Order: sequence, then structure tokens, then C-alpha cells
Amino acid sequence: MKKFWALFFFFWPTVAIISCVIAPSRGWWFPSPPMSRTGVQIDGLFYLILIIVTITFVATQYVLAYALWKGATKESGSKALFSHGSHKLEIIWTIVPSFILVFISLSQLDVLAEIRVISKFPEKATKVAEVTARQFEWRIRYPKPGTELTTVENPGDLYYVNELHVPTGKPVIINLRTQDVQHAFFSPQLRVKQDAVPGLVIPIWFDVREVGNYDLVCAELCGWGHYKMKARIVAQSQSSVDKYLKQLEADQNADGTKSEAAASGDE
Amino acid sequence: MATVSPALDAHGHADDHSHGGHHEQSFISKYVFSLDHKIIGIQFLITTLIMLMVGGALALAVRWQLAFPWENMPVVGQLFGLFRTEGGQISPEFYTMLFTMHASVMIFLVIIPILAGAFGNFLIPLQIGTDDMAFPALNMMSYWFMWPAIACFACSFFVAGGTAGPGNGWTSYPLLSDLPQAAPSSGSPQTFWLIGLTLVGVSSMMGSVNYLTTIINMRAPGMTLFRMPLTIWSMFITAILQAFALPVLTAAGFMLVFDRLGTIFPTDIHSVFFIPANIIVNNAAPTVGGGQPLLWQHLFWFYSHPAVYIMLLPAMGMVSDMLACMSRKPVFGYKPMVYSMAAIAGLGFIVWGHHMFTSGMNPALGMTFMTSTMMIALPSAIKVFNWIGTIWGGDLKFNGVMLNCSGFVAMFIVGGLSGIFMAAVPVDIYFHDTYFIVAHFHYVLFGSTLFGVFAAIQFWFPKMFGREMNDTVQRWHFALSFIGFNCTFFPMHLLGIAGMPRRYADPYLHGYLEHLLPMNRFITISAILMGFAQFLLLGNFFYSMFRGKKVGRNPWNANGLEWTAPSPPGHGNFDIAPVVYRGPYEYSSPEAEAIGQDFILQTVPHVKGVAKITHH
Amino acid sequence: MSLTPSLKPLALAGFLSLATVIAGCSDSAYQSSFVYSQGTLSLMREAQDGTKETPGVKKLLDDRFGDPQHLKAWGKLPVDFGGTLTSVEEVSESEPGNKIIKLTVEEGKSLPMKAGSVKFVTGACSGESVQVSKWNAETGEATLAIAPSKEIAAGDACAVDGGTVLSSGRMLYMRHCSHCHGTSGDGNGPTARYLNPKPRDYRHGVFKFTSTNDMSKISRDDLSRIVKYGIPGTYMPSFLLMKDDEHHAIIEYVRFLTLRGEYERKLVAELSSDFSEVAYDSRLKAGEKKPEIQSELQEYLAEDLKESASTLGDELAEIWSAADTEEAAIVPSMPRVTDTPESRRRGRELYLSKTLNCADCHGIDGAGNGPQTIAFEKNPQKANELYNEPGLHDIWDNLNQPRNLQLGMYRGGRRPIDLFSRIHAGIKGSRMPSFKNTPHEDIWHIVNYVLSIPFESDPGATAIAPSAAAESVAAPALVTAPTPK
Repeated sequence: MKKFWALFFFFWPTVAIISCVIAPSRGWWFPSPPMSRTGVQIDGLFYLILIIVTITFVATQYVLAYALWKGATKESGSKALFSHGSHKLEIIWTIVPSFILVFISLSQLDVLAEIRVISKFPEKATKVAEVTARQFEWRIRYPKPGTELTTVENPGDLYYVNELHVPTGKPVIINLRTQDVQHAFFSPQLRVKQDAVPGLVIPIWFDVREVGNYDLVCAELCGWGHYKMKARIVAQSQSSVDKYLKQLEADQNADGTKSEAAASGDE
Repeated sequence: MATVSPALDAHGHADDHSHGGHHEQSFISKYVFSLDHKIIGIQFLITTLIMLMVGGALALAVRWQLAFPWENMPVVGQLFGLFRTEGGQISPEFYTMLFTMHASVMIFLVIIPILAGAFGNFLIPLQIGTDDMAFPALNMMSYWFMWPAIACFACSFFVAGGTAGPGNGWTSYPLLSDLPQAAPSSGSPQTFWLIGLTLVGVSSMMGSVNYLTTIINMRAPGMTLFRMPLTIWSMFITAILQAFALPVLTAAGFMLVFDRLGTIFPTDIHSVFFIPANIIVNNAAPTVGGGQPLLWQHLFWFYSHPAVYIMLLPAMGMVSDMLACMSRKPVFGYKPMVYSMAAIAGLGFIVWGHHMFTSGMNPALGMTFMTSTMMIALPSAIKVFNWIGTIWGGDLKFNGVMLNCSGFVAMFIVGGLSGIFMAAVPVDIYFHDTYFIVAHFHYVLFGSTLFGVFAAIQFWFPKMFGREMNDTVQRWHFALSFIGFNCTFFPMHLLGIAGMPRRYADPYLHGYLEHLLPMNRFITISAILMGFAQFLLLGNFFYSMFRGKKVGRNPWNANGLEWTAPSPPGHGNFDIAPVVYRGPYEYSSPEAEAIGQDFILQTVPHVKGVAKITHH
Repeated sequence: MSLTPSLKPLALAGFLSLATVIAGCSDSAYQSSFVYSQGTLSLMREAQDGTKETPGVKKLLDDRFGDPQHLKAWGKLPVDFGGTLTSVEEVSESEPGNKIIKLTVEEGKSLPMKAGSVKFVTGACSGESVQVSKWNAETGEATLAIAPSKEIAAGDACAVDGGTVLSSGRMLYMRHCSHCHGTSGDGNGPTARYLNPKPRDYRHGVFKFTSTNDMSKISRDDLSRIVKYGIPGTYMPSFLLMKDDEHHAIIEYVRFLTLRGEYERKLVAELSSDFSEVAYDSRLKAGEKKPEIQSELQEYLAEDLKESASTLGDELAEIWSAADTEEAAIVPSMPRVTDTPESRRRGRELYLSKTLNCADCHGIDGAGNGPQTIAFEKNPQKANELYNEPGLHDIWDNLNQPRNLQLGMYRGGRRPIDLFSRIHAGIKGSRMPSFKNTPHEDIWHIVNYVLSIPFESDPGATAIAPSAAAESVAAPALVTAPTPK
């Protein structure tokens, strides 16, 4: 029975590792490859940590299990090893992990700065829209075509809900704010997440590498309808975005008369 | 000099209670409003075990919704006819209540009180060799303040009509928790919740002051600081953490209450600590204010991050004790263990910002907090290595205690390693508020702390009741809990990587999460298995209390002072006032061998003819 | 209309009686129940329950609409219940026990692409539902998975995949909507009580934001817009990313619940003056005898109510069908007037004018704080009683204050045509009246003015001096709110 328990501690980390190995093929992994440049960097750092952590996990779990196995296979009545510890070992396992940890944290700094520090935002990033979270939807405001986005609303601004159109291949800036409580702008495929804090306008930037639809969900508890904040980021070429905004402008100015309907029908 | 240590008497005597000059007590003063630290500890233990089942039931309700979203919820959905026309289909705000109260109950009514309240109370005087706490009345009050807290939490379920108890998460971020109109639960339920939280805080504070005083002033002769068992060290450091961190939470709680005065009195006057101007929620008038919601997060996590260690350190200390005993070996690196606990506590105060990496605080702060958070992994790693070192080469006893302790170490490794992902800000940007976080902290709080507690319950049970628990049942309980636990929480890492956010009543609304339903069903089934396995523990606990095999003073052949007292110790603890001559972990030492055993009690003086053990 | 003989049962099913196409496939999920309205429950018990021979209100309702697990499709209602009504042309057997039926549809309609099950509406197997194992969409040959209990005859009417839209609508509704709008569409789900404004109670058949004229019901397109874009400023969120067929199913289910509620209201209205509990008590007091009233009720249920049960359905079908026609839609007679300062100025003059009197509710500067918002209104439900709180109320008895136009938040949509419709048709069920007799040009001026309010640095101060504005505003009067249309 002793051996069973020791094997038990060998067994479960093995199952854990196997389940992680098969996970990507079963869809239990990232929803898609990273679709933004910072997303690629984030994934790179993730895999770096994953490798370090996996090695540590396997080593410590198996050593633990082996220590138990040693105990389980010990002849009955034989004396336990008498030791109060070892200075040398203590020093080794203090210094080695601390180097690894410092290495991990230094490796993160550049990416962190690039993502978050406003002065390090890409120079040619354009402000495309303001996203206002509210219970329980995302309200989008584009500047009137041909004008700059400002933090206050201007006549002619274009409004939409739950669908954000951005151009691909270039960094874009979104002004994030909330109308009521705290929310978080989370796009799993783009690896973008930022809380929307009441009273603040927070700029976030990202670039989308490929044309497509990407999820936009809320990642900060915002009330009973937290899960309902389903939206999408539509990434398309600049010309398609311009065309979309033109159509949006026409729709928004619809006055219900026939001529208008005919005009927009031609497009 | 050499008095015969009572512990050498293998079978405790029934007449031990007759000494000490404590007079006869009525049932009420002996078992209810007791001043005796042991009774208070046991009161805490039983209360928290019951709360554990309450919290577990809430968790299963959460799991049901995630496995079978919006399907009629058994039992919970039918209670009180809350969802009659919906046929038991719960409402989304009810779901927010379920996970909020699961967390609140588990953290504030189970983990914190079961460690500090139950084991801290029971063990501190016994292990340092004194007759009771420094302030017995304060100690009693610390228990009885739990009940108003429990009552407040219970009220908070029902004050808003039953379908909406507190539902703003246990973190209660403003403005959701601040503006009464922001959520169904943000009115009076949130107020009751805050009051309950404050009362738990008062209880913890009374306990921690008491522990600090007792440990500093009331140690038995010869019990130097570095002869204290690691349990005592951990309780001591925990008490320091509580004493310094709690006031901040209490202050923040009061600030929030003042922001919400309108929910207590019919008044329009209130403060605006966390309320910015011009916020319109639920069609109410725009707010007037100039407050800052992030302030709450700073204050809250300034307490709650140390609180994570409050929820962990005592278990670490107890596991060190138990591993040494069950391996028949000294703790590997006693002093590094002490220093690393102190380092965890110290660093624990400067890492709170890692909960806020996506909150919009200054990114420069993010870098600082990342580095300090990485560093806190170091003492944790040292402790893990030392535990493995303790087991290494030991004469292992594979009983429930040992298995649960090994489970503790194994789970703590997982919880610690998954924490590194979150400490790294860029990676955390992706993982923040996903199920990866849920997996991580359950590995720390359940996988580590609760498995440690399962071991501790069995280990000190003989001292509490003079009987032992059935070990076979305990091993079954361990196996089922451990398998159920890992099947429940390990897949949650994968859910997190797949981007499933926390606190979603219906994640499958989102296309990229739809395929995770089968995995969530698997998790729920595992959670049910794990939940029902706890009945083994409870059954064993209460059965053994009355029917367990009677044991003597020192059934585990352990070294600590508590094992020199009768089982259970009478009021006043020790029949012979203990004097300490040595450290707590001298298992299998040459001195012990010289007297023909593999342990040597702390009260045993130097054994003639054997070289004195000097170390460090 | 000439019908071939084999299609006669179809006509029977479609136009005449209760074509009870039951929408119950995966109905074990979301077990729930419909509730009866307060109106129904205020009737005499005998009027609610009826007797064996004469159905009461509850049975009339259940027979036509069923309960959530067994929804019924009342053929005459303008709801797309889903499925195709077909008729059996011939019955054959390839092997013994392996029944193949050939189905045809009414001229002008087409056979469905998929067929999961058929349900017999007429004939010996009426009421029976059979799985289809193989379906040929071109010939209409359906191989039945199991043979029905009785003989199928040519000419039997059956529904292919009957009620699928309704039943999927119900599932979606229970997942997304019911916790606010209630299982029965009574706006009284568990979450509803905390919301401001309250979720819509469909049972009046009234929806606020429509593109139809003031006397018409809401159109499908309007419902679709609301579901897609939500209602800003309320808890009705946008469900933009729902699939088209899901949108359709939800809207049809909402229409189903609305019709159920409205039908119930109308039945109750027939009975309540004479046979409510209150009326019963006062009749007893007036000296009438219990058996007399009872037998009068029996007679009424057996004859009058039975008849109106059918005609009410026709009426509902007519007005709800009309809402989707072109006649119901509001079409401005001229395009929007160009948005110039002059136009806005004119709009503001109209806004303040005595005839339109917008400022009486919306306030001189559009802040939604006109004199009416502080007046106490009469409660139409309770004779000669005022509401407890000042301000305007809607027909659902909820406080419903006029919009603050400075916020730039437009619940019914921000397109010029949306604002035009709000003014032209009013906001149904609320105190916002219809200004359909105002020249369309004037409405456009007002629209231009209203759209400019959020951007005025000092709203109200520009175009017209405040003193002049104040003159044109009617003095607050206690109970002078315009009655809803």
C-alpha cells in the first residue's frame, strides 16, 4: 500500500503533463494564434515561462514522488536519516531560483513598456474610435470622417454598438471609457485587455495582422449581465473601413424618404 | 532534575482533569461562552467545518450553472419558490450572488478562521507550554464576533428578496459595489456584506493581538524563539500580517459604507471616496463626486494580498510539523523555513499591485510590483525544497496525515508555479480575470491550505478529543478529494488559456468558448465527487469524536509540548508545567536513540553520554 | 380561390380552427410555466375556470397558446411558428412497415429543404408526430422512421417541422430575455424589479419605439432593430451578434407572447365589468342572487365569450398583420430639411410654441425638466387618485419622465427618421403624444433643433431670449398632462 501511494504521486503529475500536451489538439488552448504584434510577444513570453515552469514542475513533483518512493521501499525498522539541513543546498536553491526569477521579470519589461507606457506607443498609431462600455454592451463612437477623435463628442460623430471596425496592418489607438461601472476590454485573439475605469479615458493600442472578426468581451465583473457583453472587432483593409464608415454615415443620416433609400441602395 | 516526563506514560490517565485549581463549570461557561482556548479552538473548528459545507454547496451551484447553463437548478433553484415560474432556472444576478458568497464564505468564514481561529487557538498555548491565551475573554469574543458576521452574511442573502444577495464579487470593486442602483445586489445586501466583513475583521484582530501577546510573553521556560515549532512561527507571522493589514481593509470598508450611507439611513448625504463625477447608472441622476474607484483596489489588495498569506502561512507551519513527525526526521532547514516565512510576510506587503496589472494604474508601478511579486516566489520555492528535503530519507508513515501533507506540497508547487504567469505583467494581461486565475488560487487555497487542514485535523484530533480518527477513512477521503480536486481545477488552467473569463453565468454565449462546455461538465462532475467526499471527513470527525479509539498523550510519538499534556488536556492544559530543553524536531537523533526511541520530547533534558546536538 | 380537393384540409387547418401545431421538440429543458394576468385572476373563479362544457378564460387561453413545454400555434395569428403545412398526396410502402408518404404544398409555396419530423393535423393520426428518416426535397417523399399507430390517408394534412421557429425562439428567449421580461412576457422576470426603466410588459401589445404611425402596432423590423441595437440608456442591451435565424425566432416568440397577453387582456375586458370579483360583490350587494349571476355567467361563457374568443383572434391577426404593411410605416412627405442655424432656430421656436409645447415636458433648455415633470398626475387605474410621486407615467404605471435631450442619448435611435417618427407617432404607451398633424417640414426643423441641443454650449440661450421662451411655456397645472392617444 505504501508503494501505491508513492506511485500515486508519480502518476498524477504525469497525467497533468499528458493532458497539457494533448490540450492544443483538443482545442483547450489559445482561441487562435496571436493576431497582433504585442500578442505575439505576449505568447512568446508565455511559452518562455511555460518551459521554465514545466521543467520545475516535473523536477519537483518527481523528486517529491521519488522521496515518497524511497520512504515506501525502505526496510521496515530502518532508521530515518538524521539531518537538520544543509547550508550548501539552501544557498544553491536560493540563488538559482532567484536568478531565474530575475531573468523572467527582466524579460517582461520591454514588452510591458511597449504595451502600456503611452510615450512608447507607436508614433504612427492613429486614434480610430472611442469605445464606451456600459451595462451591458459596447458603444462605439468614430470621429466624423475627416476629423480627429477627441474625448468630447462632436456633431457628425458616428455611433454604433457592439462592433468595432479597425484597419489591419497598422497600429490603432482606442480611447476606452465607461459610462457606468468598471468593465474590461478583452479581445482573446488579439491578447488585449484593459480595464475601463469610471472617470478615466484610457488609450490602448494594438495592431491587427489579419483581416477577420475577433471577439470583444468584458473581463471585469460589471453586474448581472457581465457575460452578455458580446461584441466583435472587425479588422479589414483601410479602404473597407472607410467604405464602412461612409455607409454608417449614410445610415445614420437616414431620413426615411424614398430618395434616400434609393441612394443608399445603389452603393 | 530528571522528572519523569508524563509523555513517557504511553496511555493517558483519565484522572488528569483533577488538578490545576480550576473549579467546576456550568455547561454554558464550559462549552458555550468558554474562556478555554481549546474549547474556543474546537468551536471555531466545528463552525468552520459547517461553513465549509455551505461554501461547498454554493460552489456546486455555480458549477451546475456552468455545466448546464440556465437549466433548472436542482434544490437551489427550487428553494423558497424563488424561481417558480421559471421552473428553477436561476437569474444572472443570482449567479453573481452564488460565486460572491462562495468566495466570501470560504475565505472569511472558513479558511481564515479555521487556520488562525481553530488551530491557532488550540495549538498556540499547548505548543508554547502555557495554560491559556494572554487574554481569554478577548479570545472568547473573537469567536463570538464570528456569529454576528455569519448572521450578517446570512441576512445579506435575503434582504433583497432572495434572488439577489451580494453579487459584486468578494473583491467588491466600486462603482458596482458603491452605487446602490448599479446592481440588484448593490443595495442593502452589499451593506450587510460589508458589515459582516468588518465583524470578521474585528474577530481576526482580537485573535491576532492575543496570539502576538501570548507568543511573545507566555512561552514556557526554555522555549526560546528558535525552539518554537514552525506552527507557532507561522501563527506569529500571520498575526503580525493581520494586525498590520486589517486596519486598512476596515478603513476601506468604512469608506465604502460612508459612500453608501443612503442604503443605511434615508439620507442623500454621503461621501464620494470612490465615486467619480457624472456617472449614470441604471438611469439615475448623474453622480456628483471626484472620487477614484482605483483607490478601493489599492486599499483592498493592500489587505487582501497579505490575506492570501494569512490563508496559507499557518498551513505551511503545521505541515512542516506534521511532515517532520511522519517522516521521523527533523525539519530540513528550520531557520531557512522561519526566514522564508518572514520574507513572505514582508514581501507580502509590497506585491498587492499584481492584482491590478490591467486596472489602468501607472505602468511604472506595474514594473515594480512585477519584480516584487517574482521575488516572493523565492521564499515559497525555498519552503518547497525544504519540505522535500524533510521527506527525503525519512522513515515515512503513509497515513492520512502524511498523504494530505504530501498533497499539500504537491498542490502548492502547482499553485506557486502558475502564479509566475500572473506575476509577469504582459502574460497577465491575457490571463487576468480568466479561469487561469481561478485555477491558480484554488490550488493555493484549497489544494494547499485545505489539504494541510485535513492533515492537521487528523493529526491533532487525538489531542482535541482523546480519540483518534479512522485512518482508512481518512486515506479514502484523501484519495477522493485529491482526485476530485485535480480533475476539477487542473482543467481550469486550460479553460483560462482558452480565454474563458471568470464570473460568466453563460460563457457559451461567446462562440470561442462554446466548445468548452464538455470540459466544464467534466469539471462539474469532478467537483460533485470532491464535494461529496467531504462527507467522509465530517462523518469520520463526528463519529470519532464519540466512538473513535481512545489514545494516550502522544499517539504519534511527536516531540512538541502539546503531546506532554493529557489527551484531551484539562482546563489549564498541563499537569506538570513544562520546561523546554531542546528544539521541536529532534526525531531520530542520537539522543533519542540513546533512550531507545525515534523521538525526543522538547521537555526531555540532555541525555547523558550522548553528544549534545548543536546545529546552526 | 380555387383549391384542389387534396388541399382542402390544408385550408381547414390554416384558416379555420385551431391548427395545433405543437412546438415541442427538446422541451425537457427550461421547464417553466406561463402565468395568468392580474386581470384574469380578478375575475370570478367560475369565469376563470369555466365548466366542463363551457371553457373559462384560462382554458380558452391554454387551448390557443399552450404552456411553455407544449406551445401551441394558433394558425390564424400572424406569427411565423415555423414549419410547412403540407398534405399527403399518396402513401406507399417500400418494404413492409417502411412507410413513405409523398407530400405536397399549397400552390405558390415550396417544400422545405430539411424535414426532421411530420405532425399530422387532420385525419386518423391527428395529433401524432413522427420522425422522418429520409427526405427528398424535390419529390416531397418522406420516409417515416416508424409507422404511425393508425392508417394515413391521402389528403391528411400534416406539418413538416411544425413549430420549430417558435420552439427555438422559446429556448433563446429563456436564455437571453426571460430573466427580465418574464417567462410570460409580463416584464416581471426575477431581474426586472431592480431595473429602471422597467422591462417592457408585452401583454398590452404596446411597444414604445416604432416606425409605424400612431395607431399601428410595432412592425417586425422595429422589433428587430430593438433586439439588434438595444435601447441606449436602459438595460435593454444590444444583441447585434446573434445569428439572423436566432433574431427571427426571438422576434416571433416575442410576438407570440405579446399576442397571448393581448388576447388575454381582451377576453378579460369582455368579462370584467360584470363578472369580476369586485363586480360580483357589488351585484350581490345590489340585491342580485348568487344563482342568477352564476347562470348568467354560464350563458355568457357559452355564447358571447365563445364567439368573441374567435373574433378577437381575427381582430388581433388583422391589426398585427397591418403593422408590417407599407400603409403603417411613417414616410416623411419631404426629405430632411438641411440642418442650418435658421432651421434649428425655427425648430426651437416650434419647440417653445404654444401649439406644440415641447418645453412643457422637456423643459426650456431640453433638460427634461419641464413643469409637467413636477406635477402630480392622476392615476388612471384608481379613480380620482393621484400618483404618489410627481412626474409623468406610462400606461404600465411606471414613472416615465421626459427625455433629457442634452445627453444626446436617443432610446428609439439617433437617425433623423427615428426622431421624426418619435414626434410624428409619439412614443406609444407614454405621455409623448403624436404630432401627426404637424407639417412634416416643421417636424424636420424640430429634429434639427433637438439633434443640436447636446452641442449647444449654453442650451436654450442662443436662438431665443429666455424671457420670450418663458412666456410661451404654459404655466404648470396640476392635472393637465396630455392624455395618451
